[in-house]
Amino acid sequence: MSEFKSGFFVGGENCNGRVLVVDDEPDIRKVVRMTLQKAGYEVLEAENGEKAIETINSGENRLLLDVMVCDIRMPKVNGIEAIAYFRQNYPRVPLIVLTGFPDTDMATSLLRQGVVDYLVKPVEGEKLRAAVARAMEQRELAPL
Amino acid sequence: MLSKSTAPTRVAILGAGRGGTALLDLLHQIHAIDVVGIADRDPRAPGLQRARELHIPALTNLTDLIARHDLHMIMDVTGDPGMERTLREQVNQEIEILSGPASRILWELVQHQAALQAELLHAEKLAGIGSFAAGIAHDINNPLQLILGLAENLIDEQDLHVVHEQAKDIVEAVKRTTAICRDLTSYSRRASTLHDSLVDVNTKLDDALKIARYAVAFHDVTVVKDYTPGLAVMGNPDQLLHVFVNLITNAVQAMERGGTLAVRSSIAPEGIQVRVSDTGCGIPAELLEQIFEPFFTTKPPGKGTGLGLYNIKYVVHQMHGTIGVESQPGVGSTFTITFQPAHPD
Repeated sequence: MSEFKSGFFVGGENCNGRVLVVDDEPDIRKVVRMTLQKAGYEVLEAENGEKAIETINSGENRLLLDVMVCDIRMPKVNGIEAIAYFRQNYPRVPLIVLTGFPDTDMATSLLRQGVVDYLVKPVEGEKLRAAVARAMEQRELAPL
Repeated sequence: MLSKSTAPTRVAILGAGRGGTALLDLLHQIHAIDVVGIADRDPRAPGLQRARELHIPALTNLTDLIARHDLHMIMDVTGDPGMERTLREQVNQEIEILSGPASRILWELVQHQAALQAELLHAEKLAGIGSFAAGIAHDINNPLQLILGLAENLIDEQDLHVVHEQAKDIVEAVKRTTAICRDLTSYSRRASTLHDSLVDVNTKLDDALKIARYAVAFHDVTVVKDYTPGLAVMGNPDQLLHVFVNLITNAVQAMERGGTLAVRSSIAPEGIQVRVSDTGCGIPAELLEQIFEPFFTTKPPGKGTGLGLYNIKYVVHQMHGTIGVESQPGVGSTFTITFQPAHPD
């Protein structure tokens, strides 16, 4: 798949891909957006798992979402439940966990479920961008 | 004589001051001992009030106490040097009298027990703080993420207005983080066991709501506060905070899928009342009797000490208050604490 340049379907010339950031803290969404926009990603936001599921199921996101960055401890549908849903229904979208609470057992279990990266806050911008870039390479293209 | 009977030892307490009250509270919890009454000449003695709450006869007349019961023992904690002789003259010889130096030793033991109880309270609190890790990590690492992200951005930010705004955001985030440490260090400190003071109930409830958020995630929990302003009780502020934190944490834990937490303070005919209600799983009727017993827990091993409600009851009783619970499985629970109105000495 590597011959397909990132952002193949997204269109915009400077857009490297579309990332959905799921976190209940507006501050975190803001700063992750800032960090990823610097590397040319288009960033969508959702404040919990429920909103994330709504977002991915709406409009063109079903096809055009490239990567998800997801918190664990959230209201409504929490990260664990959301991740299970995404792995089941959108296995082509790589998932990165960005959590405030490092938990080895949970990390192992999530990586087994196919989460591509498990990052612990605070994470440097460079590392987050590198993780997203790696995830971009791992994603499968949406069926047309 | 005492050792022969397998039935509870029937004991009367003479003197309802600080010593008598502590003794009553202790003996009342021991199944092998049946406190049949307590007497003091002073009708306002705290132990008499406490006895009425426990449905134990409270008398102001020594003769009534002796005459009324088939006693095994009288414990004299009046501190009156002439009392032992009076008792020996008036009381049937079959009845043991614990007085003088023996009762002083008893008082020492009661105080020692109180110190142990305070240790237990502290240990239970510290054990609970272990479960704060996830909440603390969340509340520290989120602002740190913001600080790091903004600082990284500031390195090459050209727009002075943005620099200004983001620097302010960083300052705010640092302040939030320091508040966490301040709250938790004040909570985790050892309660100053002998120091009762006038405590503002509503402020303590607000503090407890803040602290309980570390113990348990309030996700999808609506908090309703209904306070009557200006309520104060006499007690140990640290222990009272611990009581409220425990009750609120329990309530939120009972609502795994969210619900409403209602925290109320009010004045009732019986005294100042604090009510903590949830719309959670409720407690089955057959367990209601046991929940205040030490080491009773429905949580899996390693998750609960089984000492939370036991300690709550202990602290409330120390403050001469009462605690009750109403619960309906599937509907929710309400814990009600009733305090005596504060009379600052």
